[in-house]
Amino acid sequence: MQVQYRGMNLIIPDNDTEWKGYFEAARDHRLVMKQCRDCGLLRYPPGAACPWCMSLEWTWQDVSGKGTIYSYEIVVQAIQAGFRDWAPYPVVLVELDEQRGHPTADEGLRLIANLASDDFKPEKEENVAIGKRVEVIFLDVSPELSLPLFKLSQEPPQGRVWQLK
Amino acid sequence: MGNLRDRYCIVGVGETEYSRNSGRTTRAMGVEAVKKAMEDAGLHPTDIDGMLSYHGNDSTPSTAISADLGVRLNFYMDVIGGGSSTEALVGLAMGVIEVGMCRTVAIFRSMNGYSEIRIGGTGARAATPVRGGDLATRPYGMLSAGQNFAPTFMRHMYEYGTTSAQVAHVKVAHSKHAGNNPKALLKQRVTVDDVLNSRWVTKPLHLLDCCLETDNATCVIVTAAERAKDLRQRPIYILGVAGRVSKPRVDYHFVHGPLSRVAGYHAKDIVFPMAGISPEDVDITGSYDAFTFTTMLQLEEYGFCKKGEGGAYVSSGIIELGGERPNNPSGGHLCEGYTHGMSMVIENVRQLRGMVDDYCPRGREGIHSYDYAEGQCRQVKDAEITMNLGWANPATGSALILRR
Repeated sequence: MQVQYRGMNLIIPDNDTEWKGYFEAARDHRLVMKQCRDCGLLRYPPGAACPWCMSLEWTWQDVSGKGTIYSYEIVVQAIQAGFRDWAPYPVVLVELDEQRGHPTADEGLRLIANLASDDFKPEKEENVAIGKRVEVIFLDVSPELSLPLFKLSQEPPQGRVWQLK
Repeated sequence: MGNLRDRYCIVGVGETEYSRNSGRTTRAMGVEAVKKAMEDAGLHPTDIDGMLSYHGNDSTPSTAISADLGVRLNFYMDVIGGGSSTEALVGLAMGVIEVGMCRTVAIFRSMNGYSEIRIGGTGARAATPVRGGDLATRPYGMLSAGQNFAPTFMRHMYEYGTTSAQVAHVKVAHSKHAGNNPKALLKQRVTVDDVLNSRWVTKPLHLLDCCLETDNATCVIVTAAERAKDLRQRPIYILGVAGRVSKPRVDYHFVHGPLSRVAGYHAKDIVFPMAGISPEDVDITGSYDAFTFTTMLQLEEYGFCKKGEGGAYVSSGIIELGGERPNNPSGGHLCEGYTHGMSMVIENVRQLRGMVDDYCPRGREGIHSYDYAEGQCRQVKDAEITMNLGWANPATGSALILRR
């Protein structure tokens, strides 16, 4: 699969054993993680082996798509030409609720994505903060490809709320 | 395994002009840098038989550089890499000489980092297809070094209260150093307010928190200590080296925290015991300044201050010339020019020789005033031990400890 998005050529070949299943689920508006068939731990990104037990056996597992902003940045000067009309835009690091602090205290399923509004505009900077709760949304780029993004949820923040002043 | 402390030396250094319009090939620049380093060491083409370089598909390989200089090689390798490669390749050079593969290794980096393939990621690098691991970041407008590192910087601010004004002092210090460096690209001194008032690139990075894109080639030559004694310059001894030491899950380190921790956390446990010294023994640091934040994070992680106190450390005056432990007395990547770390090793070698280039009237003879006022001296008095802290990204770094 090759899809144009914001001037980028996104390529997911049929033999992409890491990403193909992830984006097949995203097309159905489901967020999935690879799950180890041996130790049961979820992992992201979808690598070829379990980083905790080296098992090569895995399956795709649906996750809630709910999480908390762990860190972020506001891109003011877009590097990719296709993002210029979108800047300034937030890039957030979202920590999913599943497997937070496992298997060690500092680990989590953390995804880079954009924080957007329901109509897929970049979320306003004043609304972006570490600690705010978010949920996944899916941007339909083409009939073949949907991209997981996040939007702010109605849930109260988790932990200390902080933003760059 | 035997410790190789004091068994290897850096014997020659050289570089081309720092510019934003070299008007020539990376081959021409690389040849000039290697030739200058050979002349600096007093080495002839038959004396060099090993060559190492690193590149991001933006350079010329060892085969071309050696051929142009009439150097026949017994060993060469051109590896993919950016920051933190310099120190790693110094370690590799020691290894290949130690096992007898060759005797003397020239390490070079050559790039038109402004006029051809821009280091900042604009231009050719922004147009490459997105596949594999890049699918996790680039579709979200996260591509450049600054964009990739910003969440780490932001998390440090969240966890430790580090401020933009604190890290701005790194740029302020390096601008003072560059002002006394005749070859620096940016010699203008700046203030904290200048940094804070410069335009945003990606928050929390202002334009002046970011290094320069530069056209330049650089070279350092490594050989065994017994060979070094016969050469032109005072030998500079390698005490310890750590190369491309990495955090867990290095391809996507965001999932394995703490996010505010950088690779020096692991590298320090290799390089300090090897060198047999502690941070307090170091006279000059060369903490990689791709961004103001990277200098701060590494100084903190290697133990020059406590974890979380990097902001206070870099804004205390310690890192300025005349301070207790100056960092990048050349002006570094923020002000002198960008070389993926090579120039910071070159600078420390010259500092240990007592032979930096500055505006002291008799500086070329090694006679310095140690007056660090604008347009004066930048030689650190009686520097005995230096340390380079190389940065590839938050998850990978290298270190090199040298002595005179």
